[in-house]
Amino acid sequence: MDFKREDIMNRVEIRAIATMLFLAGMSGAYGEEEVVCYESRKDASKVVQKEVEPGLPNVVCSPVTGAVLWWGDPYDGTEAMGEMPIEADYSTAEALVKPREEQLTLIQICGVACHNGVFPPVPKDKNPRKLTMHQDIVPDSMDLQHGRGAIWCLDCHHTTTRNKLVDNFGKEISFNQPQKLCGKCHGPVYRDWREGIHGKRIGEWATDGTKRWFVCTECHNPHDVQHGARNSGFAAIPPEAAPKLPKGMENADHERHHGSASGSAAGDGDAHE
Amino acid sequence: MGSMIKFLTDYLAYVFKGGIKFYAWLAFLGIFVLIWGYGNYQQFTQGMIVTGLTDQISWGLYLANFVFLVGVAAGAVTVVFPAYVYHYEPLHKVTVLGEMLAIAAVIMCILFVLSHMGRPDRLWHMIPVLGIYNFPNSMLTWDTMVLLGYMILNLIGGFYFLYKRYMNREINKKFYLTIIFIAIVWALSIHTITAFLINTMPARPMWHHGMMPIRFISTAFAAGPSLIILIFLIIRKNTRLWIEDDAINMLSQIVAWCLGIGLFLTMSEVVTELYHPTEHSQGLQYLMFGVHGLNNLVIWFWSSMAFMVTAFIMLLIPRVRKNYKLLPIACVLTFVGVWIDKGMGLLIPGSVPTPIGEFTQYSPTFIEIFNCIGNWAIGFIILTILLKGAIGVLLGDVKYAEAEAA
Amino acid sequence: MSKEKIPVVNLPQHNSPQKKEVISQESVQHYDPEPPASTSRRKFIKNVSGMSAASLLGTAALMTNSDDVNANTEWAEHFQGNYRLMTDAEKQETVERLERRYSREYEKDVTVATTDAEDGVLFGYALNIQKCIGCRRCAKACVEENNQSRGDEQEIEWIRVLKMEKGEFTPERMNDGYPGDFGIQVGGNAYHAAGVVLEGEHYYEPEEVPEADSFYMPIACMQCEKPPCVKVCPVRTTYREEDGPVVIDYNWCIGCRMCIGACPYWARRFNWGEPNLPKEDMNPDTHYLGNRPRMKGVVEKCTFCIQRTRQGRYPACVEVCPVGARKFGNLLDPKSEVRKILASKRVFRLKAEMNTYPKFFYYVD
Repeated sequence: MDFKREDIMNRVEIRAIATMLFLAGMSGAYGEEEVVCYESRKDASKVVQKEVEPGLPNVVCSPVTGAVLWWGDPYDGTEAMGEMPIEADYSTAEALVKPREEQLTLIQICGVACHNGVFPPVPKDKNPRKLTMHQDIVPDSMDLQHGRGAIWCLDCHHTTTRNKLVDNFGKEISFNQPQKLCGKCHGPVYRDWREGIHGKRIGEWATDGTKRWFVCTECHNPHDVQHGARNSGFAAIPPEAAPKLPKGMENADHERHHGSASGSAAGDGDAHE
Repeated sequence: MGSMIKFLTDYLAYVFKGGIKFYAWLAFLGIFVLIWGYGNYQQFTQGMIVTGLTDQISWGLYLANFVFLVGVAAGAVTVVFPAYVYHYEPLHKVTVLGEMLAIAAVIMCILFVLSHMGRPDRLWHMIPVLGIYNFPNSMLTWDTMVLLGYMILNLIGGFYFLYKRYMNREINKKFYLTIIFIAIVWALSIHTITAFLINTMPARPMWHHGMMPIRFISTAFAAGPSLIILIFLIIRKNTRLWIEDDAINMLSQIVAWCLGIGLFLTMSEVVTELYHPTEHSQGLQYLMFGVHGLNNLVIWFWSSMAFMVTAFIMLLIPRVRKNYKLLPIACVLTFVGVWIDKGMGLLIPGSVPTPIGEFTQYSPTFIEIFNCIGNWAIGFIILTILLKGAIGVLLGDVKYAEAEAA
Repeated sequence: MSKEKIPVVNLPQHNSPQKKEVISQESVQHYDPEPPASTSRRKFIKNVSGMSAASLLGTAALMTNSDDVNANTEWAEHFQGNYRLMTDAEKQETVERLERRYSREYEKDVTVATTDAEDGVLFGYALNIQKCIGCRRCAKACVEENNQSRGDEQEIEWIRVLKMEKGEFTPERMNDGYPGDFGIQVGGNAYHAAGVVLEGEHYYEPEEVPEADSFYMPIACMQCEKPPCVKVCPVRTTYREEDGPVVIDYNWCIGCRMCIGACPYWARRFNWGEPNLPKEDMNPDTHYLGNRPRMKGVVEKCTFCIQRTRQGRYPACVEVCPVGARKFGNLLDPKSEVRKILASKRVFRLKAEMNTYPKFFYYVD
């Protein structure tokens, strides 16, 4: 590890830029009292509520959870997905995606501000090492949760061009097209996603209808896909409110008394308490 | 034609010539009808939200009373059947009283169905030609048909008999007996189809068994004649019409046996369902013991059982059965026991749990209860009027000749 | 984001019969990455039917003589015939009358579509029960779309999500059964139902979902091919449409609730009181058989968002599902998402023993 002065300088610079970005975001939020909600994964894709037509909002947000509840315009802010390496039942015009790069604040500056090709030095190999930055994204780089030790950052991130991902041949993949990267390993899921069986699409139901395809990282956290012991591909989110209890019921405690319905007390009451 | 109008005016004139007791009785019922008016106004303007019903338990007290009263209507046949099939003379003389009860009971049924409906103002949608009558698919259309048919048969049969009596003419046996025999079979059909109404729904496993129609009929033939016995005893006490002991004894025997069969069927169901309880037994378990601490109906079920078993034992003993001080007790126990058994004991647990397993409880609101009492009160007013006139004709107080002379 | 214009097929609306023709070389055109024309259902409805214009005129008329017109409108509704037996002209008249009333009541330009089923379409639904996290966003999206009653007095949701226990077998419970004098007859763990629909929780409210010890099972109308609810309706107000959904003519329903009794999936709801639908929350894009505002005393249910799906859009619950567990499409199209699921996944129908033949399939990967 060869720490130099420039290194420290660089980090100071990054903080300054990050702060500016943060402030810019804040002023936007406070300026107009925007309603901001998230689409699928919390903190992964923000959408600002606005009117796309008189009386028609682009989205309706849940007052309880801040999640999108309804799309007035499913294609708001989308662009064509482009070609996929493998054939699927879609045409490029029908398949739309929302560019991920807009949601990733660091991506817009990382190639200029820090990873400028000179410093920090380009790693010699892909072996895991301790990161001095980005702990907010990967808390322990020596124990990367994605792949559980079998892969590391540079298996996905381009070694030299940091605002790009990388394919098996070392070519660049846009952050807007993470499926090309994820498909490298997750073949069956990638296939299901292409077919529309896995993942989320909104828009028109017809096979040749215009659809917005949600890409991998809109739902999955690529740095911690399985969420440790939960072993679930989707991060837990707060649920919407329970339905109202029907007339005549004061609480739903009886629901938690699982077990014998035959009147035997053997199993009653101790299932959850 | 003129004589028919005369018959009607004489009939009504006789009915409304009553003493204090008679008018006190009508006034008593009238109070409930007034409350009923208020309750119905509330329900009609605000909707069914004034009831205790929910999406979970959407069939409640109204339909429970409906099902029970179909039984009472059908039960009237227990007077007609021995009289005409077995030529049992003591009952033969008072057959028409049974028919009057049937008419009143069917009217009450209609009132309860109207109370149950969310949009009674759209009832015309069911009228063929004007609306759409989903026959033969919908069991409800069958039920509507058999109930209205039964009412018409009894109206024709009963009033044809009374009219001939009033005119002091012989009845046309061919015509009258045809009506009577059709009505006997028809009586079975009304309760059978009411049972089909609920047991043809696999979504509700508690109801979905082939025993339902016979259980309905057997309990109906217990509750119906118990009410008739009570009415006969009241008539004996308050009018000059003497109903023979043999008639009452025959009816109390019918009550005993039908109640016994009903209890046997209940037992069969309980054993079948609970020997190895399945998911489908949860309604019955909820009814009998409560589930997960929800036990609204348990008291109803066991009191109903206690009433019916007590009544059955009482009726089995000839000395008790023929003691007209004790007999009314047995009859009231039977009537109330069966009312609970078919109402709170059958209709409500059919909806608990919901088809996707939600347990909820139902308790009727005051408006609902008063609307029910009001429906009963209207039914009893009609019954009183029908019976009083019929008794007048039977006694010879209402006669054509006399009317002409006057 | 690229601001360049991109060549895009401007997709036609789905109920346009000339669809296949339109997707041709000539129709490729440039457009701003703004909403394509087909996205806006509202615009579409205006263009095709001109009903909005009618309702605007209606609203104008109502301004001058509001109370009378409203009263007359409601009065006329009382004598309205059964929707299926109406001629096109009668349908038009009925719908315009409704649009007038709704537009006035909700103070916005409400459209009531009468779009018919498209030939060669049979709607089907598939739900990945392995993916569902129980967040209930589908249930709320449905309310957002379908104008159900909301609030404390009367809350109606067409989708119910059940939380089911994953189940836990423990050695401690081995002796919870009946006394074993004559051999073990009942295992102690028997009393802990796991994964049983009838033991699900309906009112769970954890901080976050999914919970580690649970899985979730959303239930709504299955749009049965052999619907028991349709059979029991005495006035045929509820029936199966040609493209599959079981719908209700709310103006013909007599409120007898036979259908609620007959439904094995508890999919039907009743308007016990006058529905409470705040003006600002009202979705003005409606279909006669779908999400138009209901009245007290009638039954309602899921229609696969007929007002959306007949215009080509996915149902609201499909779009909102954060995990993509909900899939929807044309069962007659082998390339549709649902057909691909039927072909490649392990699929089951809820309560298959009922022989109701749902067009709603549950599946696991």
